[in-house]
Amino acid sequence: MRSLNLHLKVLITLLVGLGILITAYQIFILGIPLTEDETDDLWNIDAKVEFQASPREPVKLQMFVPPLNQDYVSLNESFISNNYGVSINRADGNRKVTWSARRASGKQTLYYRLVLTKRYSGEQPKDKGPIFRDSIPVEGAEKIAADALLAPIRQHSADVETFISETIKRVNDVNDDNVKLLLGGDASTPNKAKAIELLLSIAHVPMERVHTIRLAADVQQSPELWLRSFNGENWLYFNPESGEQGLPADRLIWWIGDDNLVSLEGGKQAQVSFSLNNSEMNAIRLAKLTDESTDADFLEYSLYGLPLSTQNTFQIMVVIPIGVLVILILRNLGGLQTLGTFTPVLIALAFRETQLGFGIILFTIITALGLSLRSYLEHLKLQMLPRLSVVLTFVVVLIAVISLLSHKLGLERGLSVALFPMVILTMTIERLSITWEERGGGHAFKVGIGTLVAATLSHLLMSIPELTYFVFTFPAVLMILVGFMLAMGRYRGYRLTELFRFKAFLKD
Amino acid sequence: MLGLWKTWKALEAKGIMGINRRNADYVLKYNKRHLYPIVDDKIITKERAIQAGIHVPEMYGVISTEKEIDNLDAIIGERSDFVVKPAQGAGGDGILVIADRFEERYKTVSGKIVSHEEIEHQISNILTGLYSLGGHRDRALIEYRVTPDQIFKSISYEGVPDIRIIVLKGYPVMAMLRLPTRQSGGKANLHQGAIGVGVDLATGVTLRGTWLNNKISKHPDTTNAVDGVQLPNWDGFMKLAAGCHELCGLGYIGVDMVLDQEKGPLLLELNARPGLNIQIANDCGLTHRAHAVEAHLAELAAKGIQETPAERVRFAQGLFGHVATAPA
Repeated sequence: MRSLNLHLKVLITLLVGLGILITAYQIFILGIPLTEDETDDLWNIDAKVEFQASPREPVKLQMFVPPLNQDYVSLNESFISNNYGVSINRADGNRKVTWSARRASGKQTLYYRLVLTKRYSGEQPKDKGPIFRDSIPVEGAEKIAADALLAPIRQHSADVETFISETIKRVNDVNDDNVKLLLGGDASTPNKAKAIELLLSIAHVPMERVHTIRLAADVQQSPELWLRSFNGENWLYFNPESGEQGLPADRLIWWIGDDNLVSLEGGKQAQVSFSLNNSEMNAIRLAKLTDESTDADFLEYSLYGLPLSTQNTFQIMVVIPIGVLVILILRNLGGLQTLGTFTPVLIALAFRETQLGFGIILFTIITALGLSLRSYLEHLKLQMLPRLSVVLTFVVVLIAVISLLSHKLGLERGLSVALFPMVILTMTIERLSITWEERGGGHAFKVGIGTLVAATLSHLLMSIPELTYFVFTFPAVLMILVGFMLAMGRYRGYRLTELFRFKAFLKD
Repeated sequence: MLGLWKTWKALEAKGIMGINRRNADYVLKYNKRHLYPIVDDKIITKERAIQAGIHVPEMYGVISTEKEIDNLDAIIGERSDFVVKPAQGAGGDGILVIADRFEERYKTVSGKIVSHEEIEHQISNILTGLYSLGGHRDRALIEYRVTPDQIFKSISYEGVPDIRIIVLKGYPVMAMLRLPTRQSGGKANLHQGAIGVGVDLATGVTLRGTWLNNKISKHPDTTNAVDGVQLPNWDGFMKLAAGCHELCGLGYIGVDMVLDQEKGPLLLELNARPGLNIQIANDCGLTHRAHAVEAHLAELAAKGIQETPAERVRFAQGLFGHVATAPA
């Protein structure tokens, strides 16, 4: 007995532990949403490239596209172009699309469309970057200006991070004469970046240009320039205009480096315009989509891998254990008396079709009528099987009559009764009447009410959509349930009703 | 909530056994499933009992097919009283007790006149499984009608009172006399309204009783006191009950017996899931007694001794007998 107990404890611990682990893995590592209503932003980015093709010349247009090795996952990427060959290649952490055509003339329009979301990125690669660079050679007045600027920057900074932000701050002080000299009257962002780069290079601090797109809907925008530098562990991002540090969450890196967005051969006046819009999408559906477009298949072996119609069936099936658990608790802990063990669960399933209130009324009416028929048949002294058949047929006729009546009365709900499992009803009637015979009407009434209460409770629990979703998405929860059921299997305490049943002992 | 917790603690202190504990610690532990047919089928129980030399009501015949119903006359012969029972019936259902016959008709104990055809129909019902536990086919058993000892006349209403002893691994742990009432319709099942009266294991003197979960000291129909009655041949009952462990192999059983006017203690049936109201009848919990028996068994096992039924009865009587009755 002791070894059995140990065995059971190990089994329960194993099941519950495994259940919790798998569910936690799904929630925290895979990031599967906890509720069905959770939504995620879905971004639709269109880059429209327009240019004038030179006649009688092959056209080759190269454009950077997002490298997608960050926190974003692309769900769909398309290159829309007539008569153009498309190829994509990666270089230096960038991705470049090349459109090419032997012959094109007039105004050309090409589209690049990217649908992405900020979910389910795989393992982050370890950041690495240069931490030293050679100085850009400068001479004369510029050198003096640069040195003059660097002196206070050195004084006001403690490390690479503060050095860079101090540099950016200085360069943005356009009233400073030294800055004016370095910028040469051009206060545009790229020019500022150039000046910053110069200053940083003298201090041997490497710097890269990062071109980003802001994920904001319906805003006219062109790629925004940011600067980044590697401090040995992480990339530090800086806004060259404000010195603001850290890339905001809504920025998507489009490309890195000094090159232009587009390079064009055999054409002129290349122009790129971006338009973005976002839509919200159900998180779990999104997860399914990302699953298809990434190599990690989180959901491949989950119930979502089933065909849709089967999924619907399973959504009902996976909650049945919860209904059973309710019966288990009500019976073994509460001491509620029900007809049979799982009859209440079957009735609860039937309530799905009929709705609760209507289901209870129908159940009561049919059972009551069936019972009176059964008590009449009792006088005829029929054998069991023929008697059951008569009751079953009566139940079918009864259901047909109820359906017809309610249809004529305009209650469409009545038609749902057809799905009320007739065999369950028949068995309920039979068992109830045997209980009636053996243990009296009072007891039969008690058992009948108990069955209804248990069925109602499990129906209510089983029809909570959040719960259905949760169990369906995290089926490992069922292992935890089994662990609990196993523990209940050796529960030896009193049932709630026994506390009242044995009250006589306390009357002394 | 707090009140319930107090009740729980108080019941636990008294060693009252709940259904969950009975099932987990006794029924599931000591009663092997494959032995259930021995107690579920009264015919098998009877055959086993006869082999073991335990007295049972004499079996006149068994009818197991519709064809054999024709043999009914031969089985009854010239007897004027007999009982027809389903072999696997539950709760005393489907039992027909014939007390007398005249001309071609029979009279039941309650005075109802039945024809030969009606008895045949009843047997046919039994065969189809109308009264059996799972509704499957059954056999009908025709046996001796027990005439209860006169001693029960004053404290019983109709029907046949029976004596139930709970036997754990061959050790009687608690006993109860079950008396039919008007409400129970002559049946001796407590949940049908019969009363249960505790019996002192050592002396066979009745204690107070239980009726519908309440404690009582008088029979609700006859208003005679139920306590203080000396049951005759008590040691015979105890030995019979103790011997039933070897008979069926089940470790936790309720042994139902009757006291016949002429034949003395007879084994009626065995129950693999005896009810818990016997505790109210005896005003005593089963758990402590069961633990005492289990401890004794562990002790014996260590010494490698196996006790005979007589020794087991002596042990149980010494430990659980001579209960001091609180003044009424």
